[in-house]
Amino acid sequence: MNCDNCKERPASVIFTQESMSGTTERHLCEKCAFQSQMFHFDPNQEPLSIQQFLSHWFGVNDSAQPFQQSRDSMPEGPTCPDCQLSFRKFLDIGKFGCPTCYDTFRERLPRIFSKLHNGHTTHVGKIPVSFNELFAVKKKIDEIRLKMQEAIDEERFEDAAALRDEAKALKHRLAECSDGGEEHDVN
Amino acid sequence: MEVKSTMSINKFMKGAVTGWMASHGEHSDIVMSTRIRLARNLRGYRFPIAFTPEEAQKVDASIAAALLNSDENGYAYMKMSELPSLERQVLVEKHLISPQLIDTKRHGAVLLSKDETLSIMVNEEDHIRIQCIYPGFQLENAYDHADTVDNYLENELPYAFDEDFGYLTSCPSNTGTGMRASVMMHLPALTITKQIDRIIPAISRLGMVVRGSYGEGSEAPGNIYQVSNQTTLGKPEKEILSDLKNVALRLIAHERRSREILLSKSRVALENKLFRSLGIITFARLLPSGEAARCLSDVRLGIDLGIIEDVDMSILNELMIFMQPGFLQQYAGSELTAEERDIFRATLFRERLSAEQHEEENDKEN
Repeated sequence: MNCDNCKERPASVIFTQESMSGTTERHLCEKCAFQSQMFHFDPNQEPLSIQQFLSHWFGVNDSAQPFQQSRDSMPEGPTCPDCQLSFRKFLDIGKFGCPTCYDTFRERLPRIFSKLHNGHTTHVGKIPVSFNELFAVKKKIDEIRLKMQEAIDEERFEDAAALRDEAKALKHRLAECSDGGEEHDVN
Repeated sequence: MEVKSTMSINKFMKGAVTGWMASHGEHSDIVMSTRIRLARNLRGYRFPIAFTPEEAQKVDASIAAALLNSDENGYAYMKMSELPSLERQVLVEKHLISPQLIDTKRHGAVLLSKDETLSIMVNEEDHIRIQCIYPGFQLENAYDHADTVDNYLENELPYAFDEDFGYLTSCPSNTGTGMRASVMMHLPALTITKQIDRIIPAISRLGMVVRGSYGEGSEAPGNIYQVSNQTTLGKPEKEILSDLKNVALRLIAHERRSREILLSKSRVALENKLFRSLGIITFARLLPSGEAARCLSDVRLGIDLGIIEDVDMSILNELMIFMQPGFLQQYAGSELTAEERDIFRATLFRERLSAEQHEEENDKEN
């Protein structure tokens, strides 16, 4: 079945609307489901079913779930500043819109990951080399600061000034690395 | 006349055979292929579900540039929007791209290594999907290959990565390692004896998923199942691989035992079934895809058990791919109706199997 909105992509998200006249369903593709909020989302018009999300994404139909709330009282939650995805919308479509979503929803994610990944909530696998370097730079800055304090305590002010400059340069590099997007090289 | 068309089929197939269809590799009688997929995204860009066409183009251009500049692999680069729909379908049928990549509005593209072992999808659900398919049961080798490409890309492009959550992906079910490892297994004896129905729920309790080879749903045409890891968070890659390996090894052992039991308890009935299937694919004039898949499974089992001797396994692997609609139509050079496809499929099978016999006879004469 194709998406009711764009009629092009296959529908993968079902929106149900309950009203006095009965229940209507709209079948949307991920992209249209995502955009439906940014362009014409009206919470009164299309109440979204959290149960559907849970049953679809977590394979749970149990009504005693932590996310189970009445539709009206389920708040939008925080909204991602980069892609405008709200937490509630995230639950509905089951997809993040951008890397910043992870930061925006950080506190709420362990509960979801725990359900999806057999109780696990933290990554323990491969780390990109560039991130190892990032950690290394952070650690180095801490070390230099300690040395700087020692130099100050021992009144070696020239040494302290040199260390301060070194830390400053490293902090600048760190800012470049974690800035994202444009800075391709951490070296 | 017949020889001419046979040659053209051989030529067509040789041009279309892809690395993972070979019939070698450990346990290759049961494990047909091994696949590793790594999902990655670039830092500073929204995911394909939410990005603008401008972002899509930038992502596509930077990934393509990074890979095409690497002189090692010699990738072929194809934009989905520029590829005829039949060719896209053929790539899907060869398992080199996913059906989702074809959504042209996302500026999807694929980079293929020469032997087609490696395919890197751009702007599918994530910016980058590194996929490596090996013949037989080769989880470590396939992972090492994908990992090498991942290391190269990571050096060229900044990935979206988080200290707590690992590799950030659009779908929370991929967060962490971003890795999906899967093995495609031919399990006819477990299916015939219905043991598979009890095994599938048991495996899912171990954090693994079993489905039919063509993605979602448990229906398994041709008794081919895909077993893969479900969890991507909280376990290192090597542990996920070894867990999957253990599950697959247990399935292999079960399947072998069931085959022995079938053979000892009802040899004649089994031989009858397998040879009838060989008869169908060798002589049929109309061959619907379901029947073709079932018969290929039987003949494959027959070869594995030493009951059917003069058919080459690699031909079965080829036919399994070439029996699909996209391939048939590409070979025919035009669109075909369902019935025309059944006729064409029967012709293709007949000629491919008889071409094999011709080759054997020629070999004997020489």
